[in-house]
Amino acid sequence: MASEKFVIPIGPQHPALKEPGHFEFNVDGEIVTDASVRLGYVHRGIEKGAETRNFVQAEYLVERICGICSHVHATAFCLGVERLAGVEAPPRAQAIRQIVAELERIHSHLLWVGVAAHEAGFDTLFMYTWRDRETVMNLLEGITGNRVNYSANVLGGVKCDIGPEQAEAIQIGLNFLEERTRHYLEVVSSDAMFLRRTRGIGVMTREDAERMGVVGPTARASGVPRDVRIDAPYLLYAEHPVELVIEEAGDLEARFKVRVRELFESYRVIRELLTALPEGELTARIPRRIKPAETISRVEAPRGELFYFIKSNGTDSAERVKVRTPTLPNMASVLALSVGHQLADVPMILAGIDPCFSCNDRMAVVKRNGDEQVWTWEQLRQYGIEYYR
Amino acid sequence: MTLKLDQSWQAALDKLKTWARINSPWAIHFNSGSCNGCDIEILATLTPRYDVERLGIKLQGSPRHADVLICTGPVTRQARDRLVRIYEQMPEPKFVIAVGSCALSGGAFRGCYNILGGVDQVIPVDVYVPGCPPRPEAIIDGVVKLLAKLRGADPSDTPVVFDPDSAGEAAILAGEDPVEGPAHAQQEEEAIA
Amino acid sequence: METDTCLQKAAELLAPWAQETIEPEPGRVDVAVAPGDLVAAARALMDARWGYLTAITGLDPGEEDGRLEALYHFACGAAIVTLRVRVPRTRPAVPSLIDVIPSVSFYERELMEMFGIVVEGTPNTDRLFLPEDWPDGIYPLRKDFRMEQLGG
Repeated sequence: MASEKFVIPIGPQHPALKEPGHFEFNVDGEIVTDASVRLGYVHRGIEKGAETRNFVQAEYLVERICGICSHVHATAFCLGVERLAGVEAPPRAQAIRQIVAELERIHSHLLWVGVAAHEAGFDTLFMYTWRDRETVMNLLEGITGNRVNYSANVLGGVKCDIGPEQAEAIQIGLNFLEERTRHYLEVVSSDAMFLRRTRGIGVMTREDAERMGVVGPTARASGVPRDVRIDAPYLLYAEHPVELVIEEAGDLEARFKVRVRELFESYRVIRELLTALPEGELTARIPRRIKPAETISRVEAPRGELFYFIKSNGTDSAERVKVRTPTLPNMASVLALSVGHQLADVPMILAGIDPCFSCNDRMAVVKRNGDEQVWTWEQLRQYGIEYYR
Repeated sequence: MTLKLDQSWQAALDKLKTWARINSPWAIHFNSGSCNGCDIEILATLTPRYDVERLGIKLQGSPRHADVLICTGPVTRQARDRLVRIYEQMPEPKFVIAVGSCALSGGAFRGCYNILGGVDQVIPVDVYVPGCPPRPEAIIDGVVKLLAKLRGADPSDTPVVFDPDSAGEAAILAGEDPVEGPAHAQQEEEAIA
Repeated sequence: METDTCLQKAAELLAPWAQETIEPEPGRVDVAVAPGDLVAAARALMDARWGYLTAITGLDPGEEDGRLEALYHFACGAAIVTLRVRVPRTRPAVPSLIDVIPSVSFYERELMEMFGIVVEGTPNTDRLFLPEDWPDGIYPLRKDFRMEQLGG
């Protein structure tokens, strides 16, 4: 029957790691004709939680919105609260925030290259990038004392200093990573097998990218010059700028290239900051209660523009904290892009969200010996338990 | 499927099963509301520096093939049913490792409206690994503790908690000298120099 | 400065619908518009290719105020323009921007489920973040939300 739709549900639990999300793809043969998503499996109610905690506790909370880019969340929140309080972090603190932010970008991009390569079945690249990523994890641990959720920020400054020994360790680590990154750039732009999975797949034109409001490397791979570090410099990005990394093709290959090339900019700017690290205090005093006001704080997370809206009300906790993470605008584009592609390309297009076929959330119609019956979720569950007992 | 065997054969079969399970536990990972911090550390245990696969621990895609469920994150209202379902889909005997402060108690997210609490509010937990997030060594140690418990045979034993003072066992398994630190790190430093 | 010219241009574009225009901090303009004028105001910005919609923030100023607010933030470089729409708490409704900005759907779904502001004309009204068994008529980010409303 031509009118019949075949729906493939994916998630929330899928064999590859990463966050749970539930996708539904309508397919015609192998071609995707429609896509929808259901989020919220990891919705914890952080925006509300931040209203019931004081600013210091809320900073701890927003840092745990995402374990991969925890530092940028805390940075955006601290910058916003500091602006509300009329306090500016000392230059040394800002430099250290920027160094940690760029180290985090390195860890995040290497992680992404690995996971995306894994989606393409290129596990060798996955293992290599993750091995090299341990170098930057060591550096982050050396600076902050933790591999993930570094807690480098406090309101008004940073907790940890970078001494000459650590600076040298970072330089050595970066030299090693830079050499490896050159190799990765060569792999993602010249490996014939890999290019079959990336070149010309999931093409987003510049017009589409602008229309859909995508952010971060996804936008820059489609030729949209959009980077908060350049458009609205924060921390010391005005004094020590990064150069815009941009690709025009808009396909998966371009997204790989943009991220890998961004690594070189991160290495360069960290080196620059280490040699020109300002002297001085690490923290500025910040009042406990903050007068009523509203502010917007934007930073460039590894995945794109991160947006914070913070409203204070004269007490020691926020009236409202609104967080818009880069994945939300990008997710809409992913759904639109997958239409018209082979189902096999969808994981690559979704890359980093990596779904697979495993569980189905709704009731199912079971046909057995001609009589049709509708099973409820509970019956289906019981049947499954009995069958495998 | 149940097969009736006489007692001595049954005992031999059980012994064989325990032996196989201890030598190669297959795990499945589920994130019921985590921030990804623990998830990337679990992933890191599979990659070259820690490489748990050489110890026979394999991460599996389907709950039908898994012996061990590794849970991260607090349990959100929406993930609860999925977590229970995945647990129910696993074949007996099954074991649960809760990784990270959130999975233990709800952690930083305790009191948020969409959080039910730790994993043990929903399914029974055998091993608790605290930390925000725990280091890969701690996660490996959690698995090792579970295996030690299995060797003791009774799976309904009291739960065990990772103890940083006894992390030596996992460190040795991970190819590290507990005093000198990660062996790989030293090799890498030499390679860099 | 470039940011200032950007903001000036936005203020000129939005002048026909602006009820009140304030500059809360450097680099930002906050323009209050009536719910009925929202689509026209957004269209004016989009037609002039003035930046992109970066987020929609819902705000609950408290029950005594009797209103809810929806803030539409547009960004162009370092400049941010906020369209502030105030709607009565008893019947909160705003028009959808879907005809002007196709990617707005997720933001509008979030606004609906978190604040109970009805977005008229938005194509998809399903929940995005909250669980399926979440009770109807309970909006977690409103100030009068209590955990007890969720029951067991």
